[in-house]
Amino acid sequence: MAEMTLHQIRKTYGGIEVLHGIDLECEKGEFMVFVGPSGCGKSTLLRCIAGLEEISSGELRIGGALMNDVPPSRRGISMVFQSYALYPHMTLFDNMAFGLKIAGIKKNEIRERVQRAADILQLTPLLGRYPKALSGGQRQRVAIGRAIVRDPRVFLFDEPLSNLDAALRVATRIEIAKLKQSMPDTTMIYVTHDQVEAMTLADRIVVLRDGEIEQVGTPQELYRTPRNVFVAQFIGSPAMNVLPAQLHHRDGGATITHAASGECVLGGAGAFDAGPVQLGVRPEDLALAGDAAPLFRGRIDHIEHLGEWQLVHTDVGIDDKPIIAKLPGDLDVRRGADIALAARPSSIHVFDTDGRRQNGAGRT
Amino acid sequence: MTVGTGNPPSESALFWTAISKSFVYSLLVCLGVIVLYPLLWMAASGFKTNTQIFNAPFAIPLSWSLENYIGAWNEGVRSFLVSSLIVTATSAFCTVMISAWTAYGLTRTRMPCKPLITGFILGGLMLSPTVALIPLVRMMQSVGLYNTHWALILLYTAFRIPFTTFLIRAYMLELPSDLDEAARMDGATEGQIFWHIMLPLCRPIIVSSVILHILFAWNEYLFAMIFTNAQEVQTLPVGLTSLMAKHGTDYAQVFAAMTISALPIVLLFFAMQRYFVRGLTEGIGK
Repeated sequence: MAEMTLHQIRKTYGGIEVLHGIDLECEKGEFMVFVGPSGCGKSTLLRCIAGLEEISSGELRIGGALMNDVPPSRRGISMVFQSYALYPHMTLFDNMAFGLKIAGIKKNEIRERVQRAADILQLTPLLGRYPKALSGGQRQRVAIGRAIVRDPRVFLFDEPLSNLDAALRVATRIEIAKLKQSMPDTTMIYVTHDQVEAMTLADRIVVLRDGEIEQVGTPQELYRTPRNVFVAQFIGSPAMNVLPAQLHHRDGGATITHAASGECVLGGAGAFDAGPVQLGVRPEDLALAGDAAPLFRGRIDHIEHLGEWQLVHTDVGIDDKPIIAKLPGDLDVRRGADIALAARPSSIHVFDTDGRRQNGAGRT
Repeated sequence: MTVGTGNPPSESALFWTAISKSFVYSLLVCLGVIVLYPLLWMAASGFKTNTQIFNAPFAIPLSWSLENYIGAWNEGVRSFLVSSLIVTATSAFCTVMISAWTAYGLTRTRMPCKPLITGFILGGLMLSPTVALIPLVRMMQSVGLYNTHWALILLYTAFRIPFTTFLIRAYMLELPSDLDEAARMDGATEGQIFWHIMLPLCRPIIVSSVILHILFAWNEYLFAMIFTNAQEVQTLPVGLTSLMAKHGTDYAQVFAAMTISALPIVLLFFAMQRYFVRGLTEGIGK
């Protein structure tokens, strides 16, 4: 049985519906990440699960029990807030012990549980300090510690790394991954708009847009077989190149011709419907054409050097929208030079004109 | 022509800056003298005899005898001081606690018609005490509180709640809602969130509110005069008036009594000046 089940969850603010019937199941011990652009409803969904927002309709079950009207503290969940939400007038020990004191737990047990959490998070020497005396990363660890001491069934993270600088974000991300490994039976729900966090931490990712789920799957599923253009462009950095194209059945196979006059034989005509489509190819799937038939020809418009890699923006003459290719950093390419790019047919994504996937396992 | 920002100011500019600064400082010194001199003159006169007061009103006292102060203390100032302390402390506690709880409700809960309720409470700021006097006297008489400390405590509390709520509410609006949500996740009830989280975080504005209330209640005259007439329940402002009526010719003792009554509030003001100023600005600005 799933640890947490969401059935037709809807949330309305003053007549405006922001969550449109969310259906989702989360297994015990799973690390699930909600990802999506700003305003997609991911934080609202998390707050509905936490009990900080009332669910307008639908059912939320945790461990099989209906939780819609259960107060937050009795849902068996803990939450780490984006702002850390540490009590500034309490020491770290008191911050972590507050919930346990409220619950009437004995002092010895409180001390033991806080100590255990502090040991895990390497906070023991800091327990007597106040939050203002800590760095951002340490505050974040205290917020996690406060959640751990309550021994929750479900752990909720609301964009916990967004207030940290880039280096600390990577370090804390690794700490969270290790924390998850040390708590295999605890289910974790993590909200972020950073797809790198989503890809590196999640067992499964839920992509949300405008209050609806676009796709649920493992990071690899979402990356390899995105269900639609939105997911394809949201997952992966830089985003997938998508451009209008035409699909033909020719010599028993399928051939795709795009607006920039390149073409690619896909094979397996039965898998595709002929007609106008959208062609998608990830920047990292493009390479210099060499002897192979090029998919794109154009002039290099701009180059972003990333050290090991370089992002080559190529003007192929379509709506001022460059095709981005991720090429090895040591490749000698110059701005203004002509370039021919090719991709393996298996790396081509085909979407219909409505943006739905046409090829592979994610076809709808 | 280029205008350099690093050029030294001309002598004329320096001259006028010095003049304007001198003018401002002179003005501040004059204001300080105007405020402090009457207080110092009053305290000094308490050490003089009546003859000295009339013959050399602006001279330094010939001796520093506490005779007038002891006399005033025994003539009723002790009783007035105790009444003032009881009324001020109790009404300050009640006002601030009720206002803080009200402000919590107005800022942290999802009660319906919140703007209407806020307007209703803050509308109390517009109510003139003078207008309500006659009904209040009848009410206090009918519930048996007339001529008791409780009459003043209730009135001071009721009339100060709107202003104090206004101050604390403005401060609470600035506190992040994540804190009470985190406490709610920790299992705290509304009461526990108020006591353990919000009230400690509101300490600066609470202190400011207490000081402002003390200043009001210590010096309030109208209600104290109307609602008390026995000496043992009269507060300092009314008590001093009756003392002046009784010992109208003994100015030295009256000055001593006035000095005793002013001393606690002056000391409190200087000790808590930082909070006092902050309370005013926070109430206005936030």
